[in-house]
Amino acid sequence: MRWRREPSVIPGFGITFGFTTFFLCALVLLPLSALVVKGAGLDWARFIEVVTDPRAVASYKLSFGASLVAATINIVFGFIVAWTLVRYRFPGRRFIDAIIDMPFALPTAVSGLALSAVFAANGWLGQYLEPHGIKVVYAPLGITIALTLIGMPFVVRTVQPALEELPRDVEEAAATLGASPFYTFFRVILPALMPAMLTGFTLAFARAVGEYGSITFIAGNIPMQTEITPLLIIIRLDEYDYAAAAAIGCVMLAISFAMLLAINLIQLWGRRRVSASARR
Amino acid sequence: MSIALEQVTKRYQGQPVVNDVSLNVAEGEFFVLLGPSGSGKSTLLRAIAGLVDIDQGTIALHGSDVTNVGARQRGVGFVFQHYALFRHLTVAENIEFALRVRRMKAADRRARRAELLKLVALEGMDQRLPAQLSGGQQQRVAVARALAHKPQVLLLDEPFGALDAKIREELRRTIRIVQRELGITTVLVTHDQEEAFALADRIGVMNLGRLLEVGAPRDLYARPATRFVATFLGAANLLLAQQNAEGLRFGSAALDATVRQPLPAGREHEVVTVLRPEEIELAATREQLTSSFIARATVEEMQFTGALERLRLKLLDNQHALQSSGGNGEASMEVTRVQPERRALPLSVGDTVVLGARRLHVLPTPLSSFAIHASDTAACQGLLQAPLLATLAARMKTRLVSCAELPDDARGAQGITPGVAVIAAGAGAADQTAQLLRAGANEVLLLNPDTGLPQQVCMYWLDDAARHATLAVAASLLRHLPADALCIATAPAGRRDPQRAQALRALLDARSEARAAHALETRTELVPGEAPQAVAEFLAGLAAPLLVLGAADTTAAQSTLAQLHARLPAMPVMVVYREGAVALRREAGR
Repeated sequence: MRWRREPSVIPGFGITFGFTTFFLCALVLLPLSALVVKGAGLDWARFIEVVTDPRAVASYKLSFGASLVAATINIVFGFIVAWTLVRYRFPGRRFIDAIIDMPFALPTAVSGLALSAVFAANGWLGQYLEPHGIKVVYAPLGITIALTLIGMPFVVRTVQPALEELPRDVEEAAATLGASPFYTFFRVILPALMPAMLTGFTLAFARAVGEYGSITFIAGNIPMQTEITPLLIIIRLDEYDYAAAAAIGCVMLAISFAMLLAINLIQLWGRRRVSASARR
Repeated sequence: MSIALEQVTKRYQGQPVVNDVSLNVAEGEFFVLLGPSGSGKSTLLRAIAGLVDIDQGTIALHGSDVTNVGARQRGVGFVFQHYALFRHLTVAENIEFALRVRRMKAADRRARRAELLKLVALEGMDQRLPAQLSGGQQQRVAVARALAHKPQVLLLDEPFGALDAKIREELRRTIRIVQRELGITTVLVTHDQEEAFALADRIGVMNLGRLLEVGAPRDLYARPATRFVATFLGAANLLLAQQNAEGLRFGSAALDATVRQPLPAGREHEVVTVLRPEEIELAATREQLTSSFIARATVEEMQFTGALERLRLKLLDNQHALQSSGGNGEASMEVTRVQPERRALPLSVGDTVVLGARRLHVLPTPLSSFAIHASDTAACQGLLQAPLLATLAARMKTRLVSCAELPDDARGAQGITPGVAVIAAGAGAADQTAQLLRAGANEVLLLNPDTGLPQQVCMYWLDDAARHATLAVAASLLRHLPADALCIATAPAGRRDPQRAQALRALLDARSEARAAHALETRTELVPGEAPQAVAEFLAGLAAPLLVLGAADTTAAQSTLAQLHARLPAMPVMVVYREGAVALRREAGR
């Protein structure tokens, strides 16, 4: 493929491409390489031992499991929120629209604190849930709730513009062709929003995997039960076991990368169909 | 009837966007709804499809009432302006959508798809995505998709709006061929009159939510009944002429154009005539004209458009007779000439020419122009500001004489400025009205400087002889004002009174006449009680009424007006006066 040399506002492909590679290297690849190098400081047997330690494995399961569940919840409820904001006009709509972004701006420690206050055994909601045997704080449920809160704006903000661009007459066309609302939703609206929803899902998921601040407040950090991988890394660091921390970090990196790659491939496959429309 | 609409009304936030529309479309007919944007034509089409709920009226498709049936069950084919294709589906999947919904077998679906693609000349495009097609091709897919489930009605909402001229033409032809081949009842909405002419078996022209006229393209063009249709359907010069028993007079020039309905002798009436740009003859001298002389004019502007030469002329005499078309008060006239005409008399800007009318059409509308009558300039200026008057004059694109002299009884008919006489409502208005009517005015409009647009136009006549004219005037007003139409009659309160039955019959007659002659849907109200007081009480209960008061006797008009005004001093009243006989009858057969 030839490099495109069309006049544009930002000068020169050479310069911009140079910046792109530089930034990627300096801010993404270099630190990641350092991590891998650090992790490689261990010999192979020790590396395997560290990363397959039951405590570590339990933390992977919790971290990625809770993140997946949270992102899935977000995709459903985030869609409903986006739909409400786009399709209806009601008093206080702008206010709600602004509130969506709050988790973006809030320091994670603050959201953790807030969630603890609500769900603690003597908290606003916790005091009613606890007698029914529903334990939120110091339990995986609490972690999932925290991650859902953190990821929600990602889904809403990616689905919202896609929904705004989805013409209303497409739904009307489906209706005149005899499709039920159910059929229209699953065959017309959802496929059109799929790329945006996958992007939202990816962002929410990636954010959740990396989340640390809010979880430490609500999780209780009980090894094997409510200990997430980022926390485990911190613990290893506190023990001055840099190599072990890096090794666990490498595993996390690998899993995250694999999952993001998978989602991206799904998107690519899906976008192949709509890609031509972007060229118009 | 394939599609039957009965008094369909749709309101948005109280404002009617489709106002009392009744329409029948025959089996296999290609019907075009034509109107400017905001005229309600798209809303009406969507109402037929079931995409819009209507507030009043009924919609029937092939004899069955579908007013309360959803779009899904109506099963009409609908083509949207912006195609509304499913972008993530291929052409094949788009076309098969309706069939898939109906769980048709795959083999049958394929066969039907092939058939449809052949019909719209898109064979071999099955596996393309909409985004890989041009605009014209996408719209063809949309048409094929809409026809897939073999609907009995095809509705198209500005289907060529987003396409360029050449493709538009091509697609127009395709749609006409498809329609003929399938014999499917079709309604197309457009704002493009050329498109309407090219496609339609019949055209319905809409404006301000009302369906003004329905007819074959040729008839509507040659014999429009309303100003709006005359100017919207092709270019038209609207001229004011005087009509009397002898015929038409245009300023000082008598026209030998034949008048269908001569007036009774004595009374002269101002009428609006339509002169198409291509029906104007230009000559160097009056003797060289082969048609009847109208005026002299100078060439102001010339435009070469290929086949035609377009001229803008400024009249040198009879200027007052021209209705300002642009609203800027400039008295100019549009003329088009074909090349042989141009070669016979080459013109350049600044030349003086003589105008002749080859063919004139007199609009049956009773409202021609307005003239404010008041005792002093300040009062005239006040009335000139009245929103109702300003709106009417602007929408009718007609002449508004800002200050005409009040007639004195001695001078008689010659002393009055033609058109609707406008005077200030209030004390003395009833006497002034009688004076104006005696002086030769046919219509008098009473209003205040702050009179706004009415929400109801009410018709009430003192004499059956005036009914016809009252309805005509009200219909003319309602074409330019989006308001409810209401016929009022009074009857004694008693139940079995024979007068009551008679009044009721008169109301129903009026209603059917309004519908037949003016395509106007009206509601009727039988008010119990003594005539003027009961009517006044009823009107007082309405939000913003305008009364059209028909009279055949000046004294009766005067006393009724005085009594109505005592109760409702701020209500605008249009007094319609006809001396016994009917003055202007609408052309039969429309």
